[in-house]
Amino acid sequence: MRRLVIETATEALSLALFEDGVLLDSYDAVIGRGHAEQLVPRIAELPDGGRADEIHVDLGPGSFTGVRIGIAAARALAIAWGAEVLGFETSSLVAATARALDRDLAGQALLVVMEGGHGEWLATPIAPTATPAATRSLLPAEAIAFDHEVVVGSRATEFVALRGSGRACPLHPSARYADMIDGMLLGTKLAPLYARAPDATPMAKPTLGHEGPSA
Amino acid sequence: MTIILGIESSCDETAVALVTSEREILSHKLATQEDAHRPYGGVVPEIAARAHAEKIAPLVEAALADAGLALAEVDAIAATAGPGLIGGVMVGLVTGKALAHGAGKPLVAVNHLEGHALSARLTDPDLQFPYLLLLVSGGHCQLLAVEGVGRYRRLATTIDDAAGEAFDKTAKLLGLGFPGGPAVEAAAREGDPTAVPLPRPLLGSPEPHFSFAGLKSAVMRAAQSGDYQTNDIAASFQQAVVDCLVDRTDKALKGLDFAPSALVMAGGVAANAIIRTALQRLSADHGLAFVAPPLWLCTDNGAMIAWAGGERFAAGLTDPLDIAARPRWPLDTAADSVRGAGVKA
Repeated sequence: MRRLVIETATEALSLALFEDGVLLDSYDAVIGRGHAEQLVPRIAELPDGGRADEIHVDLGPGSFTGVRIGIAAARALAIAWGAEVLGFETSSLVAATARALDRDLAGQALLVVMEGGHGEWLATPIAPTATPAATRSLLPAEAIAFDHEVVVGSRATEFVALRGSGRACPLHPSARYADMIDGMLLGTKLAPLYARAPDATPMAKPTLGHEGPSA
Repeated sequence: MTIILGIESSCDETAVALVTSEREILSHKLATQEDAHRPYGGVVPEIAARAHAEKIAPLVEAALADAGLALAEVDAIAATAGPGLIGGVMVGLVTGKALAHGAGKPLVAVNHLEGHALSARLTDPDLQFPYLLLLVSGGHCQLLAVEGVGRYRRLATTIDDAAGEAFDKTAKLLGLGFPGGPAVEAAAREGDPTAVPLPRPLLGSPEPHFSFAGLKSAVMRAAQSGDYQTNDIAASFQQAVVDCLVDRTDKALKGLDFAPSALVMAGGVAANAIIRTALQRLSADHGLAFVAPPLWLCTDNGAMIAWAGGERFAAGLTDPLDIAARPRWPLDTAADSVRGAGVKA
C-alpha cells in the first residue's frame, strides 16, 4: 500500500511517498510562495509519479492559499487514482517533525508556533499524549502568554526571544515524518482549517458611492 | 472526436463541464456563490476562494458521473489560468494540473477571456474566423478582432470601468441586490429609460473606446437627488449603456481593416436582453450576422473553458504543470495601453 503525504500549508513544500510504511522518496524545500506552481511537478518527480493508494494532506491552519492548493491537488489526484484522502492538522506534523529530529522531546509538552500572516502567529499547545488543542492566530504579544518550555515551529526563535525564556526548536514540517502522526489525528473531513474569518464586512445599506469589498 | 474536461473558478462560479470536439456538451455542473456574496454587495475574494476549494472536487466527480465517463476517457484537462481572482484561479488550475498528472493527460491552461471569445463557436458551427467580438463582462469591456485560436487583436477597451462593473455598482447604489446585472435589468423593465438625463461617455469620439465611470457617478447623483424613481434610474442607466455599446461598436465596425464573418457578443453582460437586441439590430444595419451564445453560456461556466481548451488542444497548444495562475492576462498582449486607462485596460 502506497501513501503520498502532501504538506503545503506552511512556507515549506514537503512531500513523501511511503510503501507499507517504508519511505520510498521525499522532497523538502522552504519556498515561501509558489506552491501552486511547484506542487504537481514535484509530485510528478516522485517514483511512479507519486501514485498512491492513500493520500494524506495538511488541512491547516496555515497559509490560506497553501492549504487550499494542497487539498485541491490531493482530491484531484484521488479522483484520478481512485485513492482515499485523509487530512491532518499542521501542528500535528510540526510536532511529529520536532520529535523525530530531537528524540529528547518525546513525552514533553510542546508549543507549536508558526507564521500566521497579517503579523500574527499560529500557536498550538500540544500535551505529551493528548490531541493538540485548537490552533489560535494571535499577535506575538498575545502568543507569549503560553508558558511552554519547548517551542517548535517556523517562529519558535522569535517567540522565545520575545518571551525571554524557553527553548526554541526552529523548523518547518517535513512530510517524511508524517508516519509519526497518531492515526487518531487523521480525518476524512477534507475542509480547509482557517484560523481567521474572511476579511469582509457585510453591507449595511445602499452605499451611494462607497466602495465596499468587490471583485 | 476528443473529450475535454473544463474547469472554471475565476470569480464567483465554480464550474466543471465535459465537451466534445463535435460540440456536444456531455455534462456541465455549476455551483454559484451568489448567496455567500450577497450580504457584501459584491464578490469577496477570500470567500470566493474558500467556496471554490470546497466545491471543485465534488463538481468534477459529478460532471464525470453525469457524462457516464471515467477520467481515463477524457483526452485533455482544461482549466482557467486567469485573469480573475487569484485565490480561486489557483484552486481550479491546481485541480486541473493534478487531474492531468494523475490521469496522464495533457493540461491546457485557458485564458478566461478566450473562453468567452470562443464560446460562440461552441454553439454555432458556422461561425468562422475572423469575427468582431464585443466582450462585455464584470471585469472587461473590449472590442476584439478574433482572427483564430490564440490570435486576438484588441481594437478598443474601457478606459475606466467595465460595463458589468457599472451594472454591479448601479445595483449596489440603488439597493437592488446582487448580482447586479439581472437586478438592474429586472428593475429597468418597470422604469422609463428616458426619465433620467444621464451622460453617454465617449459617445461620438473618434476611437471606439468605452468609459462608464462618469455614468456611474451620474447614477449616484441621480439617486442622491431624490428626484427619481429607482426603476426609472435603472432603466435610464441601462439605456445609456446600450447607447454607448452601440455607438462604440458602430464606430469600430466602420473602421475595420478586415471583413468579419459576424459580430459576436459574449460575456456576462451579453445575457442582458435589451443590450442583445440592440447589438443584433446594429449587426443587421451593417449586413452582418449576429452571434451570441445562449444565456447560460454568456455567464461564467465550465463548458466555454472546455471548448476553448479543446480548440487549443486541437491546435497543438498544451501547457506544462508548473504554469502560473495570472490575475491579469490580456488576450492581446501586444496591445498598447490606452490614454486615460488604468491597469484595467
